[in-house]
This record gives sequence, structure tokens and C-alpha cells, in this order.
Amino acid sequence: MSDSGPTEQPDERHAVDSLLLKRVAAGDRAAFSELYDRFSKPLYSTAVRILTDTAEAQDVVHDAFVALWDKASTYEASRGTAFSWALTLTRNRAIDRLRSRRRRAELLENSAPSDLGLDENSSGPSADESADTSDQAAAVRAAVETLPSDQQSALKLAFFGGLTQEEIAARLSTPLGTIKARIRRGLLKLRERLAASQ
Amino acid sequence: MIAERSEELAVLGALDLLSLTEQAELAAAVVADPALAVLLASFRSTAAELAHSAPPVVPPTLLKTRILASLSTQTAPASARPSPGIVLPFASWIGLAAAACFALTTAYFGQAFVTERTAVAALRDQQTLADLALRGANNQLEAERLISRRELTAASAQAAESSGLVAALESRLVEASLNAADSARQLVGSRDQIASARRELTARDQRVSDLTRQLAAQGTLADYKIATLASLLGNSPQALAVAVWNPANQEGVLTVQKLPALAADQDYQLWVVDPQYPIPVDGGVFRVDPATGEARLNFRPNLPVKTVAKFAVSLERKGGVPKAEGPMVLIGP
Repeated sequence: MSDSGPTEQPDERHAVDSLLLKRVAAGDRAAFSELYDRFSKPLYSTAVRILTDTAEAQDVVHDAFVALWDKASTYEASRGTAFSWALTLTRNRAIDRLRSRRRRAELLENSAPSDLGLDENSSGPSADESADTSDQAAAVRAAVETLPSDQQSALKLAFFGGLTQEEIAARLSTPLGTIKARIRRGLLKLRERLAASQ
Repeated sequence: MIAERSEELAVLGALDLLSLTEQAELAAAVVADPALAVLLASFRSTAAELAHSAPPVVPPTLLKTRILASLSTQTAPASARPSPGIVLPFASWIGLAAAACFALTTAYFGQAFVTERTAVAALRDQQTLADLALRGANNQLEAERLISRRELTAASAQAAESSGLVAALESRLVEASLNAADSARQLVGSRDQIASARRELTARDQRVSDLTRQLAAQGTLADYKIATLASLLGNSPQALAVAVWNPANQEGVLTVQKLPALAADQDYQLWVVDPQYPIPVDGGVFRVDPATGEARLNFRPNLPVKTVAKFAVSLERKGGVPKAEGPMVLIGP
């Protein structure tokens, strides 16, 4: 899902995103600019959420969009939506930075829980709630909120935490099999609820 | 129907949580089952929606400008490059080709330079961090070495002190062992004494018990009747007798002094006067020592005596008589 207009239906939105990406692959800067406007807010929010650092998040989004421009021709619609592809470019870079930061912190032995960027109580960069008022974003947040709290926690750690399955299990003091089951059930429910809300 | 395992791999793969082995497993499963590829794409799209659960933050305006500026220095996307189907004059083509080769070479080496410089910088960072870690580890090692040395010195001193203490304790132990042996011997002797004392105590208890039983059978001393018999003889006024009577046992003892010696055919005979009988009850006969006039008679009347009013002694023929016939020689009280 991208940050498109509130009246755009998901399928229509994905189709527009895909078309724009094809135009980007053809070197269309205007399409790139429009795609940036549609994607940048959720991608930047994700990067900030993962890194809890706006400067680093800007670097990550910059690199991701440059990669998107450079690799647009490699996008395959059969492997997911254009937004999910762009998100993968952003999230992988953010998580790489996060893991690099953790390794450095571990080496210097001054790691703190807040460094993980997943402390629910840490404020980090201030969120602009009014900035994202699209129906799509609200629908996603509502769907996530309906998940059981243990599934929410597992999914958010998996998505924003940059942790392995084993690290998530250790962090939640829960057996690995249970974590896998929670993530699987959580994503299946999220898919069902998002489909129902469309 | 997609297997649960494949579905789980697809979910975890959509969230980039798979290990290399699992990634290979998922890739093989996707190749074998096109439906799984569709499901994986669906999961990827769903997972991407989680981006909207992050607190929304508006990117700064300058970010777009910065990105667009970066694009201006980039070559166009690969797919946007001119196709080789365009025919140009040879002279133009060779010039353009040379320029393109130069540009590509420059870009390539420029890119390689930037990449290498970045790698070198990263390596330097890593080396700096490694140096810091090494320095920290050395410091920690030195600190641990100093601490260990102090602990070793303290432990040695403590060991020496402990050795002296052990020797003193051993000496005390030997002394205590000897004392214990003496005590053990004394204990054995004491035990024998205690056993002997217990045996004696038991015997005495038994004796006391017997005496108590006897005393109970004999009655109390207060119940005894003691009577002094006075002489009725003109020729032996100093003659005297004492009778002690135990009413419980119906027996008594009579002792006499200075009674005249008897002829061979005579006996003294004791009589117990009880008001319940019309005549005195026979208490038995006795003779006295001719030299001292003394005698002792343990007597038991031949009839039950309830109340002793008097004792009397008469002189009778040898063997005694059922009813007093001879003269009375003693009477009392």
C-alpha cells in the first residue's frame, strides 16, 4: 500500500504503482517523482521506526529510492506489489544499518535496550499523527490492532526489529515454535482482515 | 493444497526471517508449486502493509530534492538505455562509442574507486573498533592479573596461618584423644560402680520393701502393748518380767530376771488375762537359767486374744496346765 489518495481502491492503487514503476524503469523522472510522493511517507516512517534516528532514516530512504531508480527494470509484479518491493529495498537497508549499529554497540559493550529501536516506550523522533490520515493507513492500523497482543508483538519485532527468529524467541522468552506459530497466525489474520476491509 | 510447512516458510520468508537453508527450501518449494509463489507474493504484500503500523512521520521536503539530485548524477535505469537497433553513421558511431567507452570506463573506475574507498573506510572503522576492543581486553586482562596476584598472595598468607593452626589443632587433638581414652576408662569404671550401686540399691529397695511388708503385717509400734510384771514372791521380791504383746500378730515376747530356779518337775507358766474369757488364756511354759534366773519366751496364746488386761506367771507342774493351779509369782501391770 502506498500513500495514495483516500478514494483509491487497493487493486487500483497497486495497478497505478506498478505502472509508475514501469515508467520509472523506462527512465521517466516524472513517474519517479510521483512514485516518491506515493511511497516516501510510509517508507520513511518505517525507516524511522526501525532506526529511531531521522538522519539515518533519511539516508536509508535516499539510498532506497536511488536503488529503485536504478533497478526498477528488475521488478517482477508476480513477486509482490510495487510498494512491497520498494519497502523491501528500504527495510533491508534500515535493518543492515541497525545490525551494524548493534555489532558496534556490542563490541564497545555499551549497548542499551533503546538501541534496538524497539522499546515501545521510547519516543524517538516525534510522530506526526496528522501526517498520515489516509484511509488505507488507518485501515492497516485498525487491522493490526485487532490482532491478539502476542501476535502483534511477534509481528512488530519481526518487521521492525531486524531480529532473527531465535532472537525474537529469546527477547519474548517464548519457545521458537510458538514464535513461528504466532507470526504465521498473525500474518494470516492480518491478510484476512485487510481483505475484508477493502 | 499448500503444506503447512511451506506456508510457514512463505510467511517467514515474506518477513525476511529465513535462514539460508530455509531460503533454499522455500525457493525449491516455490519452483515446484506455482501456487506457493502466488501465496508468497500475497504474504509479501501483506507484510508490507505493516509499514503503516509505524507512527507516521513526514519526510523532510529536502529529502526528495536530495534524491532527485542524486538521480541526476546517475545513469538512466538499465532498461531505459537506448537499444542497439539504432543505426548511426560509422564516423559518428566510432566517436560516440569512444566517448561511451570512456564514460563507462570512467564511471566504472569511479564507482570502483568510491566502493573501494568506502570499503577502506569501513575497514578502518572496524580496525579502530578492534583496536579499542583489544585495548579494553588488555586492560581487563591486566586488571584480572593484578587481582589474581593479590588473591594469590592473600591465599598464601592464609595458607601459612592455616598450617600453624592445623599443627596446634593436631596437638590439641592428640591431647584430647588421650583425655578421651582416660575418660573412657573412667567411664567404664564409673559404669561398673553405678551398676554395682544399682544392684545394691535394688537389694536395699527389696529389703525395705520386705521390711515394709513385715511392718505392715506386724502393725505399728503404737499398737504394741508393753507390760511390766512385778514379783509376788516373798523370797524373790526383785524378780521382774517384761511382756511385749503384738495384737496384730497375736504373739509376744516375755523376758524375766531373777526368778528362782525350778525343781525338775516344775515349769513357770504364762497367762494372758482377757475379759472375754472366764479364765486366763495359756501363754506357754518356760524355765529360767538356774544361775541368773533369766529367761526369754516367745509366746503365742492358744486362743485369740482381743484385749490384754494383765499378764501373769504361775508356778506349775512340768508341762503346764490348762487352768492355773499353782501359786502366782509375777503379775502386771
